[in-house]
Amino acid sequence: MKLILAGVLAGLLAATAAKADEMVFTSWGGTTQEAQTKSWAEPFTASSGIKVLQDGPTDYGKLKAMVDAKNVTWDVVDVEMDFAIKAAKDGLLEPIDFAVVPKDALDPRFSNEHAVGSFYYSFVLAWNKGAVSGEPTSWADMFDTKKFPGKRTFYKWSAPGVIEIALLADGVPADKLYPLDLERAFKKLDTIKSDIVWWGGGAESQQLIASGEAAFGQLWNGRVFALEKDGADVGVSWNQNLTAADVLVVPKGAKNKDGAMKFLAAATSPTGQAKFAEASGYAPINTKAKAEMPADVVKGLPDAHVDGQINLDMHYWAEHRDEIATRWYAWQTK
Amino acid sequence: MTGTAFRRRSLAGLPAGSAGALPALTLVGLFFIVPVVALLLRSVTDPEPGLQNYAALFGSGTYVRVFLNTFLVAAVVTVVTIVVAFPVAWMLAIMPPALGSIVFGIIILSMWTNLLTRTYAWMVLLQRTGVINRALVGLGIIHEPLPLINNLTGVTIGMVYIMLPFMILPLVGTLRAIDPMTLRAASLCGASPLQAFRRILLPLSLPGIAAGGLMVFVMSLGYFVTPALLGGTSNMMLAEMIAQTVQSLLNWGLGSAAAFVLLVVTMALYAIQLRIVGARRPAGGL
Repeated sequence: MKLILAGVLAGLLAATAAKADEMVFTSWGGTTQEAQTKSWAEPFTASSGIKVLQDGPTDYGKLKAMVDAKNVTWDVVDVEMDFAIKAAKDGLLEPIDFAVVPKDALDPRFSNEHAVGSFYYSFVLAWNKGAVSGEPTSWADMFDTKKFPGKRTFYKWSAPGVIEIALLADGVPADKLYPLDLERAFKKLDTIKSDIVWWGGGAESQQLIASGEAAFGQLWNGRVFALEKDGADVGVSWNQNLTAADVLVVPKGAKNKDGAMKFLAAATSPTGQAKFAEASGYAPINTKAKAEMPADVVKGLPDAHVDGQINLDMHYWAEHRDEIATRWYAWQTK
Repeated sequence: MTGTAFRRRSLAGLPAGSAGALPALTLVGLFFIVPVVALLLRSVTDPEPGLQNYAALFGSGTYVRVFLNTFLVAAVVTVVTIVVAFPVAWMLAIMPPALGSIVFGIIILSMWTNLLTRTYAWMVLLQRTGVINRALVGLGIIHEPLPLINNLTGVTIGMVYIMLPFMILPLVGTLRAIDPMTLRAASLCGASPLQAFRRILLPLSLPGIAAGGLMVFVMSLGYFVTPALLGGTSNMMLAEMIAQTVQSLLNWGLGSAAAFVLLVVTMALYAIQLRIVGARRPAGGL
């Protein structure tokens, strides 16, 4: 509710005048944005005096519309890495001012000229212990309907993840994933198509697993973390966990660019990253953040599961987004 | 009868006097005509001038499939809605007015509940581990949970539920205008209840069925939330596909073209509706 009010307020204010002592931060809503508000925005406002208005959810179409119309009401936006790479190429983003945002401790996997990491997450294999007998330990198990009967749930949209999972399940070695063999991936996906239930958002993925509607699935690790915290009887396999990052970007023509850069510095600082990781279960992109975190939190992060961890290639995806999406929806709607 | 005439007039969207129409026309111009023209322009100029977006739209099996599926879902929903709504509307028409207004209130009340909430409620009811399947399995009626969700069944149930008031309202108006004496006369002449229904009630209520049916069909074409949550990907509807094209792929040209085609079809259907309703308008009714 507070978020919605703030969002409406942000829209109203942005329409009247841009002020140097406030800025608008846009993210995906839900528990993630709450954690971002608590860990980054509130301390930032206290130390800098710049008010951070919250808006959301992130909408790429809206971001492009704002830049095209030269009426940009968002100053910092949380987006997915492959989108950021593509958007930078299309001229939709401001370059990051690394004189203001310290770069040395940022994980180079998750930042570039136009984006700095927000957090990173892993796609993990999670299952409902009541609905699955035994322990699935690999993506291959998720495609084995004989050994593990039941519905499985995957991310519905054309995005990094499912294609890679299908290829890994089909025996492609992790270092040979790219360029993606779409033919092979869809053929593999065909084998379980009627057993797939798709999730469109994080809450849906949790609901499906917690209720046993889907016996297991590909989930964001933070969502599994939240399920476990709520006492749901879920198992999780970190084997072949697939990392991807959200990044923070500044849309071209943002009204409070200076404020935005200062906000990025605070959000990516060791303290900001440590606090956010603790609240969300997602991993910090600042390599110094771990020192500021309790040991039991560190244990639950993707950071603690680098063995067998696979990095999704966002550059490849940025390059081939449209082509993959065309195939993806053609296959899905068939 | 005046009630019916008024309803028809408001459905037709015709203003009472031309002077009073000015604010309404301005509003329609600003918030409907201008965006539609912009949409049309975008579909033939983005990313470059030409008809390539329409070519891509009709050349792509995906979009054609989604188009056809959208019409299929809308048609199924409309037919089921009519079948379910008819007895309810008939009951309402012959009920004592006091009781009728209470039932009416209950029907309207459901429309005021948030659409998303209602759709989620259906998810809870229909899923494999949901209330309905658990009850059926528990009672020993079935052994395996029925696939009620993530398919056409789920979309139909959810959408029919949401569309019912839009069908019941026009139908009640029409049914109330039918003189109950005609039915009694039919039965006195030896017609069985089924015959009376088929040869008297049904033909007389056709205008209401047509008006409500077209409204439900047209509204169903643009549906987003319910099919997205209760349907599977193989019955994805156009609105979801357009949202995806614009929001994620940033392909505004293609999205605009798809939206424009949907709009043209919708307008054509409205035109048909106006003809049907208009043709049966009582003389001097306006």
